[in-house]
Amino acid sequence: MIKYLIIPLSDNAVSFCHYNARKGSSATIETETLRKALIWAMKENLSVQFLYPSEGVGKNIELIINTIDHTDIVPADCRDNNRLKGADIVVFNTWDGIETFGFRPDQSYIIRTTTEILINHRDGIQALLKKVNRLNIVVTDVPNFNPELHNGYQEFLESLIPTIVEEYSSGHMVQLNLLTDRIMLTGMNNCNAGNESLTLAPDGNFYTCPAFYFDGFPAVGTTEQGPDIKNPQLYRLSHAPICRICDAYQCKRCVWHNQQLTFEVNTPGKQQCVMAHIERNASRKLLEALRKAMPGFMSETIIQEIKYLDPFDNIKI
Amino acid sequence: MDSIIKDLDTTWQDGESKNITFIVTKDCQLACKYCYLVGKNEKERMTWEVAKAAVDYILAHEEDFQEPSVVWDFIGGEPFLEIDLIDRICDYIKTETFRLNHHWFDSYRFSFSTNGINYDSEKVQRFITKNHSHISVGITIDGTKRKHDLNRIWKGDGPEKGSYDAVVKNIPLWLSQFPEGSTKVTISSADIPYIRESVLHLYSLGIKEVNINVVFEDVWNDGDDKLFEEQLTLLADDIIEHGLYKNYACSFFSEAIGKPLDAQLDNQNWCGAGKMLSIDAAGNFYPCTRFAGYSLRNKRPIIIGNITDGIDSNKLRPFLTLDRTTQSPQKCIDCEIASGCAWCQGENYDAAKTDTIFQRSTAICKMHYARVRANNYYWNKLFRKEELEANKPTQSVNPI
Ligand code: SF4
Ligand code: SF4
Repeated sequence: MIKYLIIPLSDNAVSFCHYNARKGSSATIETETLRKALIWAMKENLSVQFLYPSEGVGKNIELIINTIDHTDIVPADCRDNNRLKGADIVVFNTWDGIETFGFRPDQSYIIRTTTEILINHRDGIQALLKKVNRLNIVVTDVPNFNPELHNGYQEFLESLIPTIVEEYSSGHMVQLNLLTDRIMLTGMNNCNAGNESLTLAPDGNFYTCPAFYFDGFPAVGTTEQGPDIKNPQLYRLSHAPICRICDAYQCKRCVWHNQQLTFEVNTPGKQQCVMAHIERNASRKLLEALRKAMPGFMSETIIQEIKYLDPFDNIKI
Repeated sequence: MDSIIKDLDTTWQDGESKNITFIVTKDCQLACKYCYLVGKNEKERMTWEVAKAAVDYILAHEEDFQEPSVVWDFIGGEPFLEIDLIDRICDYIKTETFRLNHHWFDSYRFSFSTNGINYDSEKVQRFITKNHSHISVGITIDGTKRKHDLNRIWKGDGPEKGSYDAVVKNIPLWLSQFPEGSTKVTISSADIPYIRESVLHLYSLGIKEVNINVVFEDVWNDGDDKLFEEQLTLLADDIIEHGLYKNYACSFFSEAIGKPLDAQLDNQNWCGAGKMLSIDAAGNFYPCTRFAGYSLRNKRPIIIGNITDGIDSNKLRPFLTLDRTTQSPQKCIDCEIASGCAWCQGENYDAAKTDTIFQRSTAICKMHYARVRANNYYWNKLFRKEELEANKPTQSVNPI
């Protein structure tokens, strides 16, 4: 069942995830479309998340936005200071300005970066983990995750373990999606686009997620007629033969990457699985380290040692 | 059941072999009305360079092709239009597998599905003699002249002309070379009234195995199922009453069909798409020929690689993890007569609401019901006959 509605307010609204927003267009959603969509969202009991462009939005849009309870996702380089201050989630698309940014405990942060650049910013991430309560790292080049990057990514993740242990020991329970989510979760917690979340794009149509809009896929409904997702079962875990036997619970299970890499929304490519399993295994090491430092820490949680990095290898039909 | 009943031959090394298909040409002498190859044309012929590069790629990646044996399949259009190319490819495969000490060197077949028209040509015959012990050839003949000529007509302008005479003249030669040769018959809506006479006719030509199936496309009209059941019932009567079941087989009748299937234990996919490999004239790889552009009505082709870049294993993952229940609607999962109800992955994809192979088309549902009813009749009648014959008092018993 759809629970979340994501609304990029313009074609250059910040991306919060793996996709890149459309370059070269700043077309903004029409006020009337937005108004209708929000009435519909209220009737459907949806939680609404707005994505803003760096220049902010005009007064007309502001007024409509404020008619509904919502989450604001704002780029770190937003020129509208009030908007940035009021943001629930702040997104960094570059490393510029991170060191001097005024991080706050009540905001969450997203860093979007390529794997190689991420690996080279180990010190920066370690420093950040001391300043924030929640950090999501989103890798923007998952399809390029080749075997040459496997070790580097693993070492990078493991290098963060001492910092997280130190923070937890001092009572600062920092969350880092790549390492702490797997420890906290007891089942799959994926992006769920098409199943739990839906996107209303600036063109006034519904899409599975903003990535499908920016990538030129057909819409899955209009504001007039409402969303109409064909083959909706394929967005559910029950109909994803590889993912349903997997325990990398923190994995995004990105249906857009699935579509790109395998042509099927329910089937992940190898890159996504291997990456998520390196994170899973590093989370296992983090849990061990936390237990050493804090005996009894989450004593119920067990993350098994496994020999594979891709659950596909366990399927024999 | 007693071995007196002829079973259908299973395919050579079924399940053990890799099936590699060369689409050597998209041209054909015929323009069959039910032909699923919507994009047939005279231009796309495979070149030697493409064929050689494909063989080189496959043989160089032995680790990705570990099946103990291989069926090198040649299809078209009409494959024998390209007999020179085929001969060269087959020679190359033989010398290369020998030179590389490849595990397929002595475990291979060359397989052909032909319309039979130029079967007796000198070149085709020379090729058959040269490779005889490693060849399977199936000639497609649809049954009686009127049934065959209903669909299998010559290409070209002018009045429709059937191809029956040009094919049937080659049947004796073919059967003398391949006595166990089988034929494939495809049934569409208009063919239903001719099923009985066609199967019996094929038997009378000496063809012992008739592989017959209804098309998977959504072509069925109201009442087709009743008519189909009636034809199969009449055919069952003929086969049983004349004892034809002892020497001849027809794939419509099988003891295994019409039973419920277990969601866990019987969860395999039906077809081998993804475990096979098809190569077209452009050097593109497909999970099966049905995913090539010329076979699809509504969808983009699914290309899983090419002779230059190799196979993109990510594109195979959906095919290799696809099971029966994930692609089936609930009515199929709950179906009491599910076994034997087939599907074609390519048709599923072509007919699906989205670009997916995970939505099973159920256009043949009512035809399967009809088939199962006739099949039940067939086996009940046959078992009863066998039972009565087994209990029949013999001459030597002396009644008191
Ligand atoms: S499908 Fe989900 S994970 Fe993938 S880009 Fe869209 S929102 Fe992100
Ligand atoms: S790791 Fe792979 S199998 Fe597991 S949830 Fe992620 S995409 Fe699915």
